[in-house]
Amino acid sequence: MASLTLRGLRKRLGENEILRGIDLDVEDGAFVVLVGPSGCGKSTLLRTIAGLETPDAGEVRIGDVDVTERPPRERDVAMVFQSYALYPHLSVGENLAFGLKLRKEPASVIEARVAEVAGMLGLDDLLERYPRQLSGGQRQRVAMGRAIARRPRLFLFDEPLSNLDAALRTEVRVEIKRLHARLASTMVYVTHDQVEAMTLADQLVVLNRGEVEQAGPPLEVYHRPASRFVAAFMGSPAMNFLEVAIEGGEVVADGVRLDAPALDDAPARALLGVRPHDVVEAEDGGLEMTVDVVEAMGFEAYAHGRVGEARFVARVPGERAAGLARGDVLRLAVDRESLHLFDLETERAIR
Amino acid sequence: MRRGVTIGLALLALLVPGLASSLACAQDELRVWHAYRGREEAALVEAARAFEASAPGVHVVLVAQPFGAYASKLGSAIPTGNGPDLFIDTHDRVAAYQRAGLVASVASGPLEARIAPEHWGAFRVAGEVYGVPLSLKGAALYVNLDRVAAPPETLEDIEALRLPDGVFPLAMEAESAYWTAPLFAAYGRGLLDDEGGWGLTGEPAERALTHLARLVERGVVPEESTGALVGQLFSDGRAATAISGPWLAAELPEALRWQVVPLPRVEGAGGAPMRPYVTVEGAYVSAEARAPEAALRFARYLATGPGALLRARRGRQVVTDREAWSSLGSDGFLARFREAAEGGVITPTHENMSVVYVPADRAIRKVMRGTASPAEALAEGAHRFEDLTRPLPDPVDPSWGVAALGALSLLLVVWMTARLRDPEMRVAIRRSMPAYRYVAHAALAVGLLVILPLAVGGATSFFAGRGTDMHFVGLANYVDILTARGGDLLGHGSFWLTLLVTVLWTVLNVALHVVIGVSLALVLHRPYLRLKGVYRVLLILPWAVPNYVTALAWKGMFHRQFGAVNAILGGFGIEPVSWFSHWATAFGANVATNVWLGFPFMMVVTLGALTAIPKDLYEAAAVDGATAWQRFWKITAPLLAPSLAPAVAMGSVWTFNMFNVVFLVSGGEPDGGTEILVSEAYRWAFTRGNQYGYGAAYAVLIFVILAITTRLTARLTGPSEARR
Amino acid sequence: MRRGGAEALAHVALVAAVAFALYPVLWVVSLALSPTDAPSPSALPLPTDPSTVHFAEVLGTRDADGAWLFGRQLFNSVMIATATSLVAIAIATPAAYALARFRFVGAEAGTKALLATQMFPGVAAAIPLYILLDALHLLDSATGLVLVYATTAVPFAIFQLRGAFEGIPRELEEAAMVDGATRFGAFVRVVLPAARPALAITGLFAFMTAWNEFILAATFLSSEESYTLPVVLQRYVGEYDAQWGAFAAGAILVSVPVMALFYALQRNLVGGLTAGGVKG
Repeated sequence: MASLTLRGLRKRLGENEILRGIDLDVEDGAFVVLVGPSGCGKSTLLRTIAGLETPDAGEVRIGDVDVTERPPRERDVAMVFQSYALYPHLSVGENLAFGLKLRKEPASVIEARVAEVAGMLGLDDLLERYPRQLSGGQRQRVAMGRAIARRPRLFLFDEPLSNLDAALRTEVRVEIKRLHARLASTMVYVTHDQVEAMTLADQLVVLNRGEVEQAGPPLEVYHRPASRFVAAFMGSPAMNFLEVAIEGGEVVADGVRLDAPALDDAPARALLGVRPHDVVEAEDGGLEMTVDVVEAMGFEAYAHGRVGEARFVARVPGERAAGLARGDVLRLAVDRESLHLFDLETERAIR
Repeated sequence: MRRGVTIGLALLALLVPGLASSLACAQDELRVWHAYRGREEAALVEAARAFEASAPGVHVVLVAQPFGAYASKLGSAIPTGNGPDLFIDTHDRVAAYQRAGLVASVASGPLEARIAPEHWGAFRVAGEVYGVPLSLKGAALYVNLDRVAAPPETLEDIEALRLPDGVFPLAMEAESAYWTAPLFAAYGRGLLDDEGGWGLTGEPAERALTHLARLVERGVVPEESTGALVGQLFSDGRAATAISGPWLAAELPEALRWQVVPLPRVEGAGGAPMRPYVTVEGAYVSAEARAPEAALRFARYLATGPGALLRARRGRQVVTDREAWSSLGSDGFLARFREAAEGGVITPTHENMSVVYVPADRAIRKVMRGTASPAEALAEGAHRFEDLTRPLPDPVDPSWGVAALGALSLLLVVWMTARLRDPEMRVAIRRSMPAYRYVAHAALAVGLLVILPLAVGGATSFFAGRGTDMHFVGLANYVDILTARGGDLLGHGSFWLTLLVTVLWTVLNVALHVVIGVSLALVLHRPYLRLKGVYRVLLILPWAVPNYVTALAWKGMFHRQFGAVNAILGGFGIEPVSWFSHWATAFGANVATNVWLGFPFMMVVTLGALTAIPKDLYEAAAVDGATAWQRFWKITAPLLAPSLAPAVAMGSVWTFNMFNVVFLVSGGEPDGGTEILVSEAYRWAFTRGNQYGYGAAYAVLIFVILAITTRLTARLTGPSEARR
Repeated sequence: MRRGGAEALAHVALVAAVAFALYPVLWVVSLALSPTDAPSPSALPLPTDPSTVHFAEVLGTRDADGAWLFGRQLFNSVMIATATSLVAIAIATPAAYALARFRFVGAEAGTKALLATQMFPGVAAAIPLYILLDALHLLDSATGLVLVYATTAVPFAIFQLRGAFEGIPRELEEAAMVDGATRFGAFVRVVLPAARPALAITGLFAFMTAWNEFILAATFLSSEESYTLPVVLQRYVGEYDAQWGAFAAGAILVSVPVMALFYALQRNLVGGLTAGGVKG
């Protein structure tokens, strides 16, 4: 177990700059999730931590050791791949023992460790099988088991759940959380799925175009997005954005004045972000939304439509869905604490 | 990575010394090479043992060589000191051996009188004798005494024989110049004239050829005969007489009543006798012999005395030793052959002799197949002979070649240093270092043992000569080839015509490989096919049998009279086809053979590629209402294409250079028309007076053509590759 | 009903193809089993008066001292061909891996050179090769022959294996490297086992190169104890006549081991033959 420190990591592949100076501190025992859209550099970052890629500049430290120039095997990390990368010619047991054998652990240790991991993940009956004889979920477990058996200082996960079906994904997600609690190891986890990101992370790192957009505890990232990008990326359905004017410390959206926190040196125009969950139907006042489509989810419903020119989604109580039709107008009030304002130019949050 | 190599080399080291040690020759051994088989070999072995007994301290090591590789092996082994001390070969190569410096002169000395002067003369070059004559090889007439009461006196008597159906009056290789030379001799012509020029000239040669054509036309002799067929027909009693050599006697069944007589006279030629070409076999002492004294002693031992008797009695050789015959006189069979040989003509030793057979054979075949009159065929033969023996290009001052090479290397060095100076390049090279550790040994091995020999071989294309005696001629070989030596650019045997044939050959073969291979793969890929494994194994079979074997089998199947193909056609009432007398059928026979050899490869590649096509694509298409035909063209074909493309590219290159099939099946018949570029290169290098330089120029041109074509194809198909 | 009809049609097509594939081979068998040396005019490849005399002749070959020559020569062939395929694979595998996985200066030029070796007819190289091997003192030894065969087989082996390696996911090696293997260790422990079908097929092709080759073997080997089987086979074809029966029997004996290998490896053959993305 160890902390992880990244300093000024840069990497370019041909013309593309994949990592543009990444700084990150991960505490010993933390669960860090790197999240971002595809192409944001999160996988490259993970592979750089593992030593599978060499950065052009910058430093990777695991614990107190600078491992930037070290090959993967000298970093004592374990990695779970998206494709699982199980060795096709080895049985499940041999897959689990592979890393231990390479490290020349005594046979008794290997045996004990494989048995322990198999027990932990329910693989006892599969040890003699070969990867091709396993289901997707079983393969995923073996891949995790292979990492656990090694007892590395750092676990790396590269979108480990993306090849599983939805039900299994939830189940394994919880299991990973449980494992983390049990092993108390440092884990770095890459995903593009914000549910995984929110539920698993102690610390969430949102990446965009090779840069860290925001890092922090998941709820803080959710509630206080540092940029329009983070705000849009986290949360489902995504946050609504309206271009607004700021007049005398008040926000004017679509001709409606909204109650907003005191804004001192705000620009004249800004981008307002409102999550669909943060609106309530109002008797009068508020934003006027013309309904287009209603998605009834049972407990709640999402109304899709427009406020002025902008697309807008609002959550309404489930029973309200039946009363809404195309062309209806919803009046929506927004709590002042739930307003997010972003600079039109830089798209950073205005605080 | 080192480990992999080390393991490989260690394994090799374990395997090989056992073999290598047995190959090492001790110094005191007398190494003797020969190409004898059967009886003759046994006699030689016995003679060697007897010699060892009489000459203590000498150990004779006999090495039997395959005839097909004999001459070239001698040519490369002796100069490098790996050859024999003594070797046995025919006299007609003496000039070539002497010129290449392979043989040492032998004093006739004590044996002078025991061997006839003309037999010594056969081994004489520029006043020196280079071999000890051992035996005579020549043709005689075998007579089946159950078919013919008394040996026929004349060829016309044989023609007039009245025999049951299916029995030929005479079995002989009527299409081979060697075997028909006796008839030409009867009419007063040799293959070469006294000056070594084309000898089949004038009215006598035409009459001989007309006579020969008549023999085949009237069914006196079988068509498309080979040595094996002659022997077989006579053994089976399906030929009343046969022209063959002493070796045939060994194959004849006990029950057959036969006799040997000298070849008959020819009334059409004024009663002159048919005179066979006689080849004198002799023992040559190698120029690099380690024990020349012992070698010569053994040669003399073989030539005369006990050696000669052993060879005559055990090996049934017509020995040259006159004294031996005083005790051999009773052996009627051999005595008849000796008589026949004495009436024969000793094959001229002129170096053109090695060149004359091909044009002469072709002229004979053209007449027999009725595609040319005797006069036309002979004129063509003469023309072709001139072409093959034309004077070599004059030597060119090699300094410009050296200068060009120097300039080229200088340019290369300049370019390399320029690239190395580039800092980006240096970084790239430093980054490449780990990869170089993986490729270094492959680069070294392939560079040294594949690319270097090819480059040196390619460089010989700037030289001309026969055998190893070469001089620098610059680009003369290329100019000659590309201008068809001043003849018609698309004329017979020209580079350009051969190129056309080669392209047609390649396209047709590869297209058929793909069509058949893909079709069979599609059928085999059916999900619920029974016996799938069995079919697959049987269909791969053509791939597993060595192709020189199956090519010969196919050649046999296309035989005019005895081939299976004509037998099948006969079952449908179709007249037998003379496959190798027409270009289209001969080419077709080659293609059939090569398609047979090549389709399994495409089938297997396709089977592999088919497993990679997702099944749901077909299901989707079926749902969309696509017919099987549409499914093939809309799904299978486009998805197969990328995986088949490399196989097709490779297959095209291989087919373009598929030497074995053309050489072994049609052999270029008819008339050289079905030769492809690579077989043409081979012929120039090995059967047309060893003009290696000329052959090498063909090889370089083949390479250039293939390289350019591949480049162009890659460029044309480039975009589609990128889509993947 | 319709499926049954299609199935029957498939069988008809396959039986016809099998007949085409087997027919010439059956002729060789028939020739080998006929006690005489020439074919008889018949459409059916049936031996006349079948006998195993030719097989006995070929198999029973003994040298002057009575030692079993055929056994010795079979041993030579097996050893040389096996060594060839091992050496060819040992040489080709790392190079193919580097071409599949690394970007390096000269990769393209090297690939082109390899492709070029496949285009240049070998006719021109035989004599320079002989002189070269003599200079290396490898002439007249099985070692030299193995080296020549192996290097001849290497270019195609590299193409073939490069294709196979490209088909193996990179993650496998990366997982091994993270698990504690060096790059080379990952290659040996993970990539090679995963490429076994392709390695088997590449080995088979190299084996066949050596097993069927006769011209170089006849030129390089100088004693009957050192001959390989194709050389022995050629000995049945002489200047004036040929023992076709013995030749055919020998041909069958030479083919049987290769057929057995094909049979054993046929599953790998379908998956393992990538023909390796031969791009210049």
